[in-house]
Amino acid sequence: MQPPEAKSGSDSLGVERSAFGVGRSGSVLRAAGLRKTYPSGDRTLEVLRGVDLSVAAGETVSVRGESGSGKSTLLNVLAGLDRPDAGELTWAGEAAHRLSLSELTERRGRFLGMVFQSYYLIPELNAVANVLMAARLVGAAGAAERARAANLLKQVGLAERAHHLPAHLSGGERQRVAVARALMNKPAVILADEPTGNLDERTGDEVINLLLQVCADERTALVLVTHNPAHARKCGRQLLLKNGVIGQP
Amino acid sequence: MPWPVYLALKQLFPTGRVSFFTLISVLGVGLGVALMLVSSSVMGGFGHQIRQMIIDTQGEVQIRGRGPFAPDAAIEKAIASVPAVAAAAPYAQGVVMLEFERRPAFPTIQGFDLDRMRKVIPLERYLKAGSLDDVDDDSVILSSILANSIGARIGDKISVYSPLMLERFKRNEVLLPREVRVAGIFEIGHQQLDSSTVICSLRLMQDLYGLDHLVHGYNVRLKPGADPDAAAAALNAVLPPVAGALTWFEANADFQAVVAFERNMIFFLLTFIVIVAAFSITSSLLVTVVRKTREIGLLGAMGGRAAQVAACFCAQGLFIGTAGTAVGLALGATLLHYRDNIVGLVAGATMGRDVFVKFYQFSHLPAYTETKDVVVIIVFSIVASTLAGLIPAWRAARLKPVEALRSE
Repeated sequence: MQPPEAKSGSDSLGVERSAFGVGRSGSVLRAAGLRKTYPSGDRTLEVLRGVDLSVAAGETVSVRGESGSGKSTLLNVLAGLDRPDAGELTWAGEAAHRLSLSELTERRGRFLGMVFQSYYLIPELNAVANVLMAARLVGAAGAAERARAANLLKQVGLAERAHHLPAHLSGGERQRVAVARALMNKPAVILADEPTGNLDERTGDEVINLLLQVCADERTALVLVTHNPAHARKCGRQLLLKNGVIGQP
Repeated sequence: MPWPVYLALKQLFPTGRVSFFTLISVLGVGLGVALMLVSSSVMGGFGHQIRQMIIDTQGEVQIRGRGPFAPDAAIEKAIASVPAVAAAAPYAQGVVMLEFERRPAFPTIQGFDLDRMRKVIPLERYLKAGSLDDVDDDSVILSSILANSIGARIGDKISVYSPLMLERFKRNEVLLPREVRVAGIFEIGHQQLDSSTVICSLRLMQDLYGLDHLVHGYNVRLKPGADPDAAAAALNAVLPPVAGALTWFEANADFQAVVAFERNMIFFLLTFIVIVAAFSITSSLLVTVVRKTREIGLLGAMGGRAAQVAACFCAQGLFIGTAGTAVGLALGATLLHYRDNIVGLVAGATMGRDVFVKFYQFSHLPAYTETKDVVVIIVFSIVASTLAGLIPAWRAARLKPVEALRSE
């Protein structure tokens, strides 16, 4: 898949495209020498031992690895949810590892979209309100954002289910809502942590195909953590996390 | 609308319904507010009724002598010189023993210059039978419960014994009571006054107590809008040393203090209902924080700041407090509107209405709602409910998104 180039600007619905551009290296997301340890009893568990990763604008990258290999930790560090013990993290050319927690939180809402294994939809909000919540969190929920939320649901095939509560949606439908939500603020990158983990094979395939399609449509980079080799192969680049370092499978 | 407010509203009032937690929390605050409103209004009603009764039976200002004194021209002139005074009437008072058909009673007796009294005390308003025009120096007006207790009716002759007669009795003189006619029966609506008060002419009272032409004081009616404190001060500035002026409040300061104390204590105790309701809100919101830990983590992961997450839970406390206060005010107003029906039902179901009236000394439950009290209730309940959201808000704000998302 040839990744499209990420740009700033506005889409046909008038919603401002993410202000995050591309770093001087040409990557929207770059990690260099990331290290992360956790205390485990009286020992220290070294989960990441110098991870180097660069994701170009619009590129799709899969990360595989055994359970406990640190895939989710890597995503949390890339998302700025967890601090690395050492190494550098760059978001669209900005040194994210030097930002304060509040600065990270503020930038994360616009720079990143996240998709989780367990969907994490807000049960009191219907599908379109869940998608729009991403815009509310960054302080923008006007008419243009409402139209974009409705359009995203249409893109993921849930136009007819826009006003249904999560409890009335199937697992696959919930994950599609989560994908639409992740795209709401036109992020530069989507980090997806085993998004098909709770779905059956067929539904999982549908969600991955959809995720790749909408990322291509929206010119958004994707880092997909998955156990599924078939899903990993659908990405432009495949990586393997083993012994705390990134390598080729 | 800021997202913390939006999400707080959505969590309390999910699409098309009110959550059970919201319902219970709002009802808790509402009940507390309703009880505070009803109790403060009823106590205010008693206070207001007593105030009106005191003014109706004493005037706004009372002039009291250091002892019996002569209502001479100097005093009359001094009273008339104060512009705020509309009318004044001299009085003398004491305690007597009544007897009618071997039924005795020991009421307070008040003697008035009846012609002047009409301009100060609206006794006609309280007359149930008879007429003030029929009252002379050989007749009295009895309070209703007193008349019932001795079985006296209009026109009956009753015997009056005064302390002066006891003095004669000690000197082995023949003890002859004063025979007086019942010329009227009045009812003020206050059990204590209605059960033991006799009103008569000033001349009769002076005879019974051997006061000659002396009086114990004056009841003073002020012009509409006049300030009792200022009027009493003005009177004290011109009155001779034998007498001093007191406002109705000062003249009944002990009683007023008791009423105010009871009212404040009841109000204070009932605030605990709202505090308990606030604690239940805290408890429920804490459970919500635990239940929604991963959602809170998600909000952080999507760009929600810790302060905004905290604001979301504080807003829930605020909305519960506001809704509960509104429900409580409506419920309280309804209870106050139907208070006599409710009291009637309770009295009928327990001790019977007559026994109830005799025991609690009122037949109609008064209510007087002061704006100040309503403002205090509203502010207190909303602030308490909002503060109730602080601990859960603090817990939620402390959650790190990455740990919250990992939680099971």
